[in-house]
Amino acid sequence: MSEISLTEQPNMFQIDLNQLDLQQLTMFKQQLDQSLSVFQDSLQSLKIAQNKFQESNDCLDKFTPDTKGKDILVPLTGSMYVPGKLINTENVLIDIGTGYFAEKTISEAKEYFKRRVSYVTEQIEHIQTIAQEKSKIREITIDIMETKLQNLQKDAAQRA
Amino acid sequence: MIEEVRKKLETELDKFKQVQKDYHKAVARRQILGSQLNENNVVKEELDLLNPGNEIYKLIGPILIKQELIEAKENVNKRVEFILSEIKRTEDLITSLDKKQETHKENLVKFQQSFEQAQSKSMKSN
Repeated sequence: MSEISLTEQPNMFQIDLNQLDLQQLTMFKQQLDQSLSVFQDSLQSLKIAQNKFQESNDCLDKFTPDTKGKDILVPLTGSMYVPGKLINTENVLIDIGTGYFAEKTISEAKEYFKRRVSYVTEQIEHIQTIAQEKSKIREITIDIMETKLQNLQKDAAQRA
Repeated sequence: MIEEVRKKLETELDKFKQVQKDYHKAVARRQILGSQLNENNVVKEELDLLNPGNEIYKLIGPILIKQELIEAKENVNKRVEFILSEIKRTEDLITSLDKKQETHKENLVKFQQSFEQAQSKSMKSN
């Protein structure tokens, strides 16, 4: 697994991109393209996760003590509902992962979702900085490739 | 002579491909384990934040079963330990497969050279 970075880091070779030939540059660019698309995918799934947590949090705002005893429709399947009454507006069950559910009060639940949203946001920012650095390197690589190509064409024209 | 070398080259290539396949499998497994460890650590953190009064349920099939907080914590801790040992095992496997890949690569180059030599020799003798 290779790492590519703009700044010097331990256990990493420094490579002058100008020293590489076109084939090597193409391979290098392909590698960058691949990791960039991985980052795009993970960014997308993180954003979906962020939205879900945010939605759940917003949902809790409507869960006030006044809603106690109100009529609700409980979904049995995606297309079938049965009428019911809301009898517990103090606690909710939350999926905390790996099959565990925890009963929490509304305020605890809100804390939980806030924590999750900030965690996911952190991850998004982290990935974004890495992705930006990589796309910068990609642009530089493309620039060098273009100058190399132009030089090649010039040489060919001179020879002709 | 040439057939012999070619056979050697082919079997070596097959071996190399097999090792490469195993290597990719091991790397994929390492990634899955990494995300599982991450998820379990998140659950562990959440369990640590809970008050003793909070009820815990475990999803088993389609039903939720009530569980003691201590029991749940123990379970998650055990799982994290298990995943850590699995990660170590997979990483050892990856390094050994990496080494194997290198030796196969070297052998391939050697066989390739002797194959080419044999080929040019037979061309000359013809």
